[in-house]
Amino acid sequence: MMSLPLLLFACGLGAAWTSRREVAMGFCVAGVLVLLALFRFHATDVLNLGL
Amino acid sequence: MTADLSRLLNALGLVAVDTVLVLAFADQVWFRDLPCPICILQRAGFVAAGFGLALNLMFCPRPSHYGLAILGALIGGAISADQVLHYVVPGSGSYGNTIFGLHLYTWAFIAFAAVVVGCGVMLLFDRQFESGLPPSPMTLLPLSAVALLTLLAVSNVASTLAICGVGLCPEAPSGYLIFHENLGLARLESP
Repeated sequence: MMSLPLLLFACGLGAAWTSRREVAMGFCVAGVLVLLALFRFHATDVLNLGL
Repeated sequence: MTADLSRLLNALGLVAVDTVLVLAFADQVWFRDLPCPICILQRAGFVAAGFGLALNLMFCPRPSHYGLAILGALIGGAISADQVLHYVVPGSGSYGNTIFGLHLYTWAFIAFAAVVVGCGVMLLFDRQFESGLPPSPMTLLPLSAVALLTLLAVSNVASTLAICGVGLCPEAPSGYLIFHENLGLARLESP
């Protein structure tokens, strides 16, 4: 699960190496979205701050 | 700024991103400082930021490529800022080793901010987008930088699978989970 964004980025780089720019960008955007979702999943602790 | 100068600066930026990822790996392998889940997400943020720069090198420089790099750096910066804020109160502890007095997540925040500023400055120069020619073959520096980023992305997939298995990571990993839990081959403990 945690390796999914990295896997998507690696696939995107693979697509870029084969000159498929749109596919590469699609993988990258998907990786960014998964990264955001995983951050949301992990950032559950309340910060010890009084702003 | 010409497209050639833009590609050189992108290559140098990508070398800097590669260096950060190599140092993180070195800290993990040599000093047995296993990355926490948030640290792994920060590494993914660096790969995302480097991805945009790599697209500039493999194809022509485009604003959309800089956009991807900025998005990756912003998300990575938010993740590292969250970790900094966790430990910013005196006495609330820390995670991992320090380099020149700052923890890796603090350095990561500074590096992500530098990527955003660098891409913002690069976007000011319109002439790099106006060449209209097909991209020329990459020279040694851009080729090495993109190849290293690809290698680091694949290595981080393998490393994350080794530490976390196929599920979510433990909050403070104490060893390579996949060897202990999934394969039963060996256990590599951090001190």
